[in-house]
Amino acid sequence: MRERDEGRGLSRRRMLGIGGALGLMAATGLSASAALARRPSVTGAELRSAVPLPPPFQVPLPIPAVLKPVSTSGGADRYEITQREASAEILPGVRTPLWTYEGAFPAPTIEARRGRPVTVTHRNELPVPTVVHLHGGRTPAASDGYPTDLVLPGGWQEATPHTGHGSAQGAHGMHDPRAVVTRLTRDYTFPLDQRPTLLWYHDHRMDFTAPAIWRGLAGLQIVRDDAEDSLGLPAGPRELPLMITDRAFAADGSLDYPSLDPTLRERPGVREPYLAGVLGDVILVNGAPWPVHEVDAARYRLRILNASNARHYELEAVSDDGRRLDLVQIGADQGLLAAPVTHRLLPIAPAERYDVIVDFSGVPVGGLVRMVNRLGSGRTREVMAFRVARKATDGSRIPRTLSTDLPAWRRSDAVRVREFAFRVGQMHGGHGWLIGGLPFDPARADVTTHLDDVEIWRLVADVHHPVHLHLVGFRVLSRSGRPPLPHDAGLKDTVSLRPGEGVEIITRFDGYRGRYLFHCHNAEHEDMAMMANLEIL
Amino acid sequence: MVIDAAPMTTPTGWALRAVVSAHMVAIVGQPVFAGVYLTGDYDSLLWHAIGADVVTSIGYLQVIVAIVVWVRLRRAWPFLATMAVVVAETVQYFAGLDGALWLHIPLGVVTVAALVVQFIAVWRRPLLRREARDARAR
Repeated sequence: MRERDEGRGLSRRRMLGIGGALGLMAATGLSASAALARRPSVTGAELRSAVPLPPPFQVPLPIPAVLKPVSTSGGADRYEITQREASAEILPGVRTPLWTYEGAFPAPTIEARRGRPVTVTHRNELPVPTVVHLHGGRTPAASDGYPTDLVLPGGWQEATPHTGHGSAQGAHGMHDPRAVVTRLTRDYTFPLDQRPTLLWYHDHRMDFTAPAIWRGLAGLQIVRDDAEDSLGLPAGPRELPLMITDRAFAADGSLDYPSLDPTLRERPGVREPYLAGVLGDVILVNGAPWPVHEVDAARYRLRILNASNARHYELEAVSDDGRRLDLVQIGADQGLLAAPVTHRLLPIAPAERYDVIVDFSGVPVGGLVRMVNRLGSGRTREVMAFRVARKATDGSRIPRTLSTDLPAWRRSDAVRVREFAFRVGQMHGGHGWLIGGLPFDPARADVTTHLDDVEIWRLVADVHHPVHLHLVGFRVLSRSGRPPLPHDAGLKDTVSLRPGEGVEIITRFDGYRGRYLFHCHNAEHEDMAMMANLEIL
Repeated sequence: MVIDAAPMTTPTGWALRAVVSAHMVAIVGQPVFAGVYLTGDYDSLLWHAIGADVVTSIGYLQVIVAIVVWVRLRRAWPFLATMAVVVAETVQYFAGLDGALWLHIPLGVVTVAALVVQFIAVWRRPLLRREARDARAR
């Protein structure tokens, strides 16, 4: 008996020891996780600029010029855009070579009216093939900018386009027999039979979208109609388009980007540390670093686009005394909401747009309102600022009802439900980003549906994936099984999935038949195969 | 001495064994549903959420049983170990709702490990009333 008791005593001591060791291990593991984790979580790696960065709120906010049509006859507007190399002084005293539409970054804005077709003749004078996609446009497939529908430069030495997704392998000779390739020029026709909203056009070339946008191939296109004009929203100089991008600058003043092939001709992909996305350490708004804009003490309509490759923002407007101004959302990616939604903090993922009213009337003259990015750290915490310059009268208003034409699809309308996992994976023996376990293949029909079918899609993400559907707008039904968030309101074309999150969306595939895309709009993920085909029969 | 060599487990001891076993079975389902969810199976998130309710409910049931064990058998360690797991599961529940995966995943692993240890502890030896053993020892 004594022996057994001693045995038990020993055992109890040992049990305490084991328990203590397990407890210590648990505590160490959890604190290591807390210390190492990115909180808030960020997908991507940041480049560091090699030039001195200017202090914030010194440069005035540029407003992109409105492009003049070359013709307005025949009930349609015709534009001509030359894609060419140019240089600009983005940082004071530093010349930065760019790839541009019409020599400007951001590109000139196209002002359009609902239902009035726009044809843009793009001429490619860049050293590489290009593709133009109008993001958010309800566009026939032939003008939607499918990634293999290339416009080759004059001297390009490749008869048929060979594309190859891959971070480290280069071209795989993946031939797309349906590609429509043109040389030097191409007409893109946009019927614009859609709700008024802020669209943007950008390069969408297979495997090289991210570096092309990074070098400057992005611009705005605004669609308006009489109903929206009559609402009495802030307009004219009190309507500001804000294209937010992040960039990094190399020592020679050029835009730094970790391309495997800096000529962007042959080998796609970025260096290994940047596979999850490329972040810059300079925040540009309309192409200017941390700009400042003089405003009246009145309501302003901010039409915000996150045109960054991979950076997410959580925007808030903070006055000198630390007060947070209301961000009254009136519109989403695909136009006006039914009714305004008031935010203090507005998350915005790559390619998302928010139409927001900010009222500066409560800010004293001379006061500064900073637009802060809560997801940033250091310099990327600042975005831009507004300096309230003068008192002013304000005839604008925010109607309680903004629109009554939002589609009201119900779950019972859906003829099918699809599920897609957006996650990291292997492709061609290398690192890639996959949808439903598969890398993009132009020849594979991933989704085949019929015109006017209503479908529910359930999207699940491993890390941040802003998921974009071409052609259609959709509504968010749920987030991780719970109701949508306040900023999910309205009609969207890009939905931001956060790590581990699942989102249900519902849409009707109407408009046009043909081959379209859906993809992750983290531009690096997109270039590393996170795209799939959407075939509408 | 024959009785002492093969001591009988009391009904209270059996109750603890049952609830710890059910708890472990339930918690093992959680990483399964999470993994299937991340392959794109949206419904598995619902199962993960239901699983979280079941696991935490069994956890609170285990607290009650552990209190009974403490009162009737005069053994406190099941209660202390159960409280540690239940606190972890409660944090785990809200970390999951909040999407704080940096906490949710390692804490989940630790919680499963702790329950496995408890499972071994309750099945390895019968839980006897402390005085009974002390009386026999005298």
